[in-house]
Amino acid sequence: MKASTLRRLAAALVVALMLLPGCLEAETEESGEGAEGAVTLTVWHSFAAESKEEAVFEASVADFMAAHPGVNVEVTGIPFAEADRQFMIASQAGEAPDVVRLSSDQLGRIGDVRVNGDPLLEDLRVHLTPAERSAFDARALNAMRYEGDLLGVPASQDCLSLFYNPILFDAAGVDHPDEDWTLDDLVNAATALTSGDVSGLAMPVKDAYWWFGFQAGHGGALFDENGTPTLDSNGSAEAMQWVIDLEQVHGVVQTGTQTESMKTQFLGSKAAMIVDGPWNWATYEAGRIPLQQTLLPTVAETGERVAPLVTYKGWSVSKQSPEKVWATELSLHLSSMDVQRTFASETYTLPTHVDLYEDADIVESDVLSGFLDQLMVGTPAPTTRAMGMVYDPLVTAFENVYAGEMAADEALRLADEALESDLEAAA
Amino acid sequence: MRRLWLLLGVILLAGTAAAGATDLVADGSVGYRQADLSWTMDPAVMTEGTVLEVRTSNTTVVNLSSSERHSTIVVGSTDGLAQPEPGAWYDDCSGTLAGVSSPVHRMANGTAVVPVGTEAIACTLTGLAAGSDVHLAVWTVGLDGKTNLSASVLATTSVADVLAAPLDTSPYLFAIGSIALSLIALLSVLAWRDRVDGRTSARGAHLYVAPALLALTVLTFYPVIYGMWLSLTDADQTKLGDQVFIGLANFAEVFATSGFLRVTGFTLLWTLANVVAHIGFGLLLALILNSADLRGRTVYRTVLLLPWAIPSYISVLVWRGLFEPMGAINDLLGTDLNLLSDAGGARLAVILVNVWLGIPFMMMSISGALQGIPRDMYEAAKVDGIGAYDRFRHLTLPNLRSALVPLSLLGFIWTFNMFNVIYLMTDGGPNLDFDGPGSTDILITYVYDVAFRDGAYGVAAAWSVVIFLMLVAFSWTYMKRTNATEAVA
Repeated sequence: MKASTLRRLAAALVVALMLLPGCLEAETEESGEGAEGAVTLTVWHSFAAESKEEAVFEASVADFMAAHPGVNVEVTGIPFAEADRQFMIASQAGEAPDVVRLSSDQLGRIGDVRVNGDPLLEDLRVHLTPAERSAFDARALNAMRYEGDLLGVPASQDCLSLFYNPILFDAAGVDHPDEDWTLDDLVNAATALTSGDVSGLAMPVKDAYWWFGFQAGHGGALFDENGTPTLDSNGSAEAMQWVIDLEQVHGVVQTGTQTESMKTQFLGSKAAMIVDGPWNWATYEAGRIPLQQTLLPTVAETGERVAPLVTYKGWSVSKQSPEKVWATELSLHLSSMDVQRTFASETYTLPTHVDLYEDADIVESDVLSGFLDQLMVGTPAPTTRAMGMVYDPLVTAFENVYAGEMAADEALRLADEALESDLEAAA
Repeated sequence: MRRLWLLLGVILLAGTAAAGATDLVADGSVGYRQADLSWTMDPAVMTEGTVLEVRTSNTTVVNLSSSERHSTIVVGSTDGLAQPEPGAWYDDCSGTLAGVSSPVHRMANGTAVVPVGTEAIACTLTGLAAGSDVHLAVWTVGLDGKTNLSASVLATTSVADVLAAPLDTSPYLFAIGSIALSLIALLSVLAWRDRVDGRTSARGAHLYVAPALLALTVLTFYPVIYGMWLSLTDADQTKLGDQVFIGLANFAEVFATSGFLRVTGFTLLWTLANVVAHIGFGLLLALILNSADLRGRTVYRTVLLLPWAIPSYISVLVWRGLFEPMGAINDLLGTDLNLLSDAGGARLAVILVNVWLGIPFMMMSISGALQGIPRDMYEAAKVDGIGAYDRFRHLTLPNLRSALVPLSLLGFIWTFNMFNVIYLMTDGGPNLDFDGPGSTDILITYVYDVAFRDGAYGVAAAWSVVIFLMLVAFSWTYMKRTNATEAVA
């Protein structure tokens, strides 16, 4: 190849490289303007693929588009546990969706994140009228607030409860659980039901989310009224040891049970009871498992009921969205009474719309009303940065106690110190 | 006709009306989707149980059906109710009583409550359409059923949304462009030098390597350089784009991490154990497969290649299931081991799985090299009465050196940075250290946690630079000692 040709090619490359930033900039501006008369919204949801929840969600999006012919909604599914991280990364790249489904404890992790000094989520306080807000349970609405900002419209709420397989109870001649059960009753029944390859109870004993309710029942709390961590508060260590003993001392939980394997055990009638949330009820029902639900027991020593952590899921609007008004409209639609009623009746998703608490279909459903009763005695998860950071030190604490490396009180004391240290560093 | 009905409606309304809200003043320039509305109340109607509704409409508010309820204010006792400070609630409202203005009280569901006798109310209304005319009025309903609709006022909301600025990509494009231009300039100079020196055989060579160099610039050189820059800044997820230079502070934090030596030690153990096992088992299997007496060689080779052919994440997840307490390994052994919950057991498990995954590649590579060794050398050795071990020791190994040296170097670098096996098997756990890496974390998996769980991008970049320097130091020393590159040539 001649040197002159080489030079020409090099010159062309130089010109192309110099034009490249200009081209990209122009594209960014155009996408910000949006095509005249037509609006496209992107929504990230975190319902399980091909689940009933996803089907109901897609149908409600279709209803929204039918009601607003000028608005096109593009839907993408992302893993629930990864939703906050994926949204953060997308926002950092300037590629955030207009609307994203997040849970209240994920808001605590995302609330302080900034790109070029801007938060990632729109404060929806200015978008909603007081009349629109008053439709939602005040606890749910408050759970979607971070540092005062309203970062999402609450669409559902959930917490753990006690499910049981009545056939296994009847076969073992054990009385069915009821609201008056204490933890001792639970262990005694689980022991009587554990036989061969059947376990009395299925729950992940090393998972902090399952422990929170037992901690509250034993008189402990994650944080005090000022938001200061109190992981080692009174009763917390007893609760941790009690939960781990279910597997290591009483042997009523199969060794190494985790969130997925507990579902498999219960679906295969290899566990008589399971501590699980409403999100799995439809799965068990589809698996034709005889199924009933009751409130989690009380702790005899304190007289307190096990109070599982209540978390809320809602629809948030990206700060980067050029279509915030439509994005808010869509969020309100996906959280509306009609959509929540459909979710409740078809997927046992618990509503946040106050009128639905009195709705005949919900009140008359044993399952939904049972879950709502459990919610009312649960502890709402605080929407704070500390809540988003509480899991890491607790994982370590559980691993140490489970492995016999530390006593529960020592592990929780160290976890508390680690969390305070992390919070100081973050501040 | 319509006007007649309207007039009739107004007359009927007036017949039952009490005095209500007057002197409404609206201002639509106070904020995005907001307007201020203030009015005075007739003290005579501000008795216990009176309800006020702020109504909004696109047109003049003349009755309830032509407007929507925006918010509700109840007149009554404020005892025991919260009184959020301005800015603390979703929107702000204040009432004036005896000439003193104070924030309204709130019921649990957010409804505003003002005391009996309140003279004036001012609210910041939210949820209004931006850039449009909004008509506002106040509807008063007394406890005695008497109602009043105030005169309608207009607010033109004028504040537009402020879009969050996208991340400024021009510095990155400028940096990539600069590196690319430098490379083009370098290649042009070299091509010119070739031409001047009369090296005609190299004509066009620089042009041919240019695309690969450009791709490397964008995909490798620039990220490495950017990572190095990031390691000198305080970048984290709370201030991406606003990071500032902080010198070597991140490196100090890396070396001060409580588990630094432990994670580095396990990374070396993990790497050496895997590389030795890969080469050892790969060599053994290659020798067996290369044996002239072996029947069904193709079948064996295919079977042994399977671990390599299956996507590694599937293999790893299957292995994780096998190692679970309820998995097949415990079933087969009749044990109740919970290997992945034990630090030592989990380390053993991840090493075993990666050894299993890595053997096929080494086996195939060594097998290829073995086939390149002339058969007549072995036959001559046999004729001379040299035994199998000595043939391996003095014929096979020296002839394989040219393949084994670069393969072991490659294996070391790959295994040192092998992320997915540990991430999928144990996620670095079990975590027994409150302030450091998990028991099975290696450097690369721990960096992931620092970057994407802690959001500390600057510190994670410093860890990455440390890893990079470790690999450069090892590779340099290894190549010097073994003449690896010469062996390839």
